[in-house]
Amino acid sequence: MIQFEGVNKWYGDYRALHDIDAIVAKGEVVVVCGPSGSGKSTLIRTVNRLEEIQKGRILFDGQDVHAPSLDVNRFRSRVGFVFQSFNLFPHLSVADNIMLAPTTVLRRDKSQARKRAEELLARVGLAAKIDAYPGQLSGGQQQRVAIARALAMDPPAMLFDEPTSALDPEMVGEVLQVMKSLARDGMTMICVTHEMNFAREVADRVLFMDHGRIVETGTPDGFFSNPQSDRAQRFLADLRSH
Amino acid sequence: MGDIAAIIHDYGVLLLVGQYPTGPLGGLALTFILAVLGLALAFPLSVILALARVSPFRLLYWPATALVYVMRGLPLIMLIFWVYFFLPVLLGRPVSGFSTLLATLVIYEAAYLAEIVRAGIESLPRGQMEAARSVGLTYMQAMRKVVLPQAIYNMIPAMLSQLVSTIKETSLGYVISVNELTFAANQINSTLLTKPFPVFVVLATIYFVLCFSLTQVARQLERRVARRRAGIAGATAAPLVVPDIAAIAE
Repeated sequence: MIQFEGVNKWYGDYRALHDIDAIVAKGEVVVVCGPSGSGKSTLIRTVNRLEEIQKGRILFDGQDVHAPSLDVNRFRSRVGFVFQSFNLFPHLSVADNIMLAPTTVLRRDKSQARKRAEELLARVGLAAKIDAYPGQLSGGQQQRVAIARALAMDPPAMLFDEPTSALDPEMVGEVLQVMKSLARDGMTMICVTHEMNFAREVADRVLFMDHGRIVETGTPDGFFSNPQSDRAQRFLADLRSH
Repeated sequence: MGDIAAIIHDYGVLLLVGQYPTGPLGGLALTFILAVLGLALAFPLSVILALARVSPFRLLYWPATALVYVMRGLPLIMLIFWVYFFLPVLLGRPVSGFSTLLATLVIYEAAYLAEIVRAGIESLPRGQMEAARSVGLTYMQAMRKVVLPQAIYNMIPAMLSQLVSTIKETSLGYVISVNELTFAANQINSTLLTKPFPVFVVLATIYFVLCFSLTQVARQLERRVARRRAGIAGATAAPLVVPDIAAIAE
């Protein structure tokens, strides 16, 4: 469903992505991990064109994502994106955050969009917060609203960019819970995360990145209990010592 | 003191509204109308200029940037002369002092407001635009629904300060005989001949009270905006929330 073919990205002289080849099948959950600066966030940001690439191709359902002819707005509405810093719109209520894209991009009518927002909020366990404002919510609640906002466009795939890294430890669980239920429902997902338990429980595969390359690919059990590369071994040792 | 009281007693109405209702509106009322109308008309223009100033397209960026820099690099009074002498030629008919000053203010203030709006846009976290684009909104939709409402709200105090500057700038209308507040005061001075000091004390006091009160309002608003920007978003009727929720959100 999502296919990387020789993807390269430079920031000036700095090569952020180095000949990336990978395939994510429909319904698959792929966890991307690696040390900071390894290019994992850059990688998933190229999928919905928040970052441009200089060489290679990314195919989404067979469609070249970086083709100049692509209607980027329509395409983006088919890929849900969840940010590390939530990025809810603080001047809009929770309902309006979720309804903004359906009413603006898909031109759905308000009552229909609101009904959908209610369903999605129930799904992330926040039905009671529909008329609250983002500033009144905890971090974990904000991130769950952000997931609901992404789901409102009924995207066939979701991208998560370190969705729990900005959260206090006691709020990580509630966000992972929502992500797990999405994974079990068959959503195609690419998650940049260091949550090993999440990866073990729902991921089909783990990609380990370092210096802009995919260094290792494996099943979660294989990768976490028996990493092949030195770099991955050191990374996992560091991760566990915290 | 007696002089001042006498001036206020005899000419207070002239200072406040000019010869209105028997003659044209003037004085403080005209000053205020010029400033508010000037800014109100400049505002939509300034949003367009600001959008061009943050645009990646050079064709939009350069003309807007040039206009803003030129306006900000010229004294207002010179601009008033330009409009005063050239606008009638351009239109082929006489233009009143009021319209001349208003037109000048609109152009001039649009440049200043544009920089305020631009600062508002650029001070928002980049994630706001990214989040709006990643749910499928176009650049303009994201600007209209997500970026500008926040940018402009955050900049309301700065715009109010700009109103204070504009009120003071309308006094330059005196040189093209717009019968605003300064003009009215000077008329009184010419009538009385021997009392320039009390006349201009009254004039200064009126300007000061108006501008100082507006500055205070701007400061109050600034505090309120700062609180909301810190994450206490509770809009309209929602109560203020404990600050540590904001800290968690960050």
